[in-house]
Amino acid sequence: MASPKTHKNDLDVGNDLLRLRITLSSEQVRGYAVAARMPGGRFESDAAAQREGLPGQIVPGNLSIALFCRLIAESLPGAKLQRLNATFRGIVRPGEPLSLHGVVTERREETSGVFLECDLVLESTEGERRVTGTATVLL
Amino acid sequence: MTGSTKKPRGAVLLDLDRSVVGSEFDRTVLDPVTADEIREYASFTGEPVGVNKAGIMTAPASFVLRMRGKRFMPRNLPDLGRSGFDAGKDIEILGDVHPGDVLTTVSTVHDLYEKTGRSGAMTFLVLRSVITNQKGERVAVIDQRMMFR
Amino acid sequence: MILDLHTHSEASEDSRAPVETYLKWLARKRDLLPIDGIVLTEHRQWNPNVDYRHLEDQYGILILRGAEVETDYGHILLYGVNDDIAGRFDFTNVRLPAQEVISEVSRLGGIAVPCHPGRPTIGLWEHYQTKPKLEDVVAVEALNGGSRRGENERVQELIDQHGYHGFGGSDSHLVSLIGVCATEFDEDVRDIDHLVQALHRGCYRAVDFRPRLVAARDGNAA
Repeated sequence: MASPKTHKNDLDVGNDLLRLRITLSSEQVRGYAVAARMPGGRFESDAAAQREGLPGQIVPGNLSIALFCRLIAESLPGAKLQRLNATFRGIVRPGEPLSLHGVVTERREETSGVFLECDLVLESTEGERRVTGTATVLL
Repeated sequence: MTGSTKKPRGAVLLDLDRSVVGSEFDRTVLDPVTADEIREYASFTGEPVGVNKAGIMTAPASFVLRMRGKRFMPRNLPDLGRSGFDAGKDIEILGDVHPGDVLTTVSTVHDLYEKTGRSGAMTFLVLRSVITNQKGERVAVIDQRMMFR
Repeated sequence: MILDLHTHSEASEDSRAPVETYLKWLARKRDLLPIDGIVLTEHRQWNPNVDYRHLEDQYGILILRGAEVETDYGHILLYGVNDDIAGRFDFTNVRLPAQEVISEVSRLGGIAVPCHPGRPTIGLWEHYQTKPKLEDVVAVEALNGGSRRGENERVQELIDQHGYHGFGGSDSHLVSLIGVCATEFDEDVRDIDHLVQALHRGCYRAVDFRPRLVAARDGNAA
């Protein structure tokens, strides 16, 4: 449920989604890159990423998007994601504690069902927003 | 999402060749999706693997991001800069993906524009991928924004 | 009167926030975000045909419009854009001459004010380290809701050194980030001309609503 207190069908503007605290390991990032068929040394190791001019191994943007999808899935079980938008505003590194959270910004009741619009944020523990996004979800 | 190729909102191309916009640069029929691929993918993201009303495994929402064509970038790009980074994506999810699905991805250059930010002057290339299944049903439309500087 | 002077709707290519959804959010969050109006400052564009008066009437929130343009001294917000200003500059040019923008926009009835001046590359502070000071700058964005740690702090140096007025804006690209920083005016601002005059007069200050939002969130979590 989006919040321990609110059933998903009762969610309205201003209700928070769950907050996920995640630290991705280097192995997880590497494994995701392989599973997601994403070639690129930057996702494999610090040394390979540094050869590309990066500070070290980085998390693929697609994995950040997948984490947003996970946030939606855990907050709104059974809901169907219709659209998701993500903007990558800063590099995400493995080993860095991350916080993912979201909030309902709109609720629309249409003939096809109840739609929620949500803002999504992936940020560092210092509150630096690395990935921001929005999602449209059909309850 | 529309298939418009008109000039993007608020962008100028000072020296960029926009003739590539609208051009298709890849069409790939992918190998059939397997249940193992779905499970392996989900094991790294933590997303749930679903089951539809018919009891058939359904891939997690972000699985469509895995569908890459043979060519990731168009061949005839103007010189956009030294390095490219994924700047973000817009994803429209139109259908489920199941084991056994044979997906086709068709990729076009959707947009090309310039802006400035913390990293300096950047060129943005937007690549659109339309993913359909073996029944010709659209499964997803993904706009990927690549940033070059 | 409190206005968010720096916001982006879905008309900006990197925002997904519909204008009406902004207003619904502000109506819902009135106790924490006492915002009386917003100024839509879309990136690199000006559309003279957009009209939000029906939304103003419906939600009781003032909606004004400006633009955020890109120059050789970083990004600048334009208020009071009219046909003369829109015809004088190509808003899509990411390398506009900042001094010309500031002087000409003022001459033509508007005001041009540097935004997020503490930000690397696209903020005035960094450009002032290597380039001459711009003439006729009246105010700078002292508080920007999208700036990172240290960036807003750097602006105070600019304000103290050059005597600029300081205003605030959220720089929101998401619905839930609107109004987190704003500008409190000592006078009523009823339209864009009033805003331009008020910005020249300097009777305003940047306000930061983020601490109360954090307190409310932490209170709910307890």
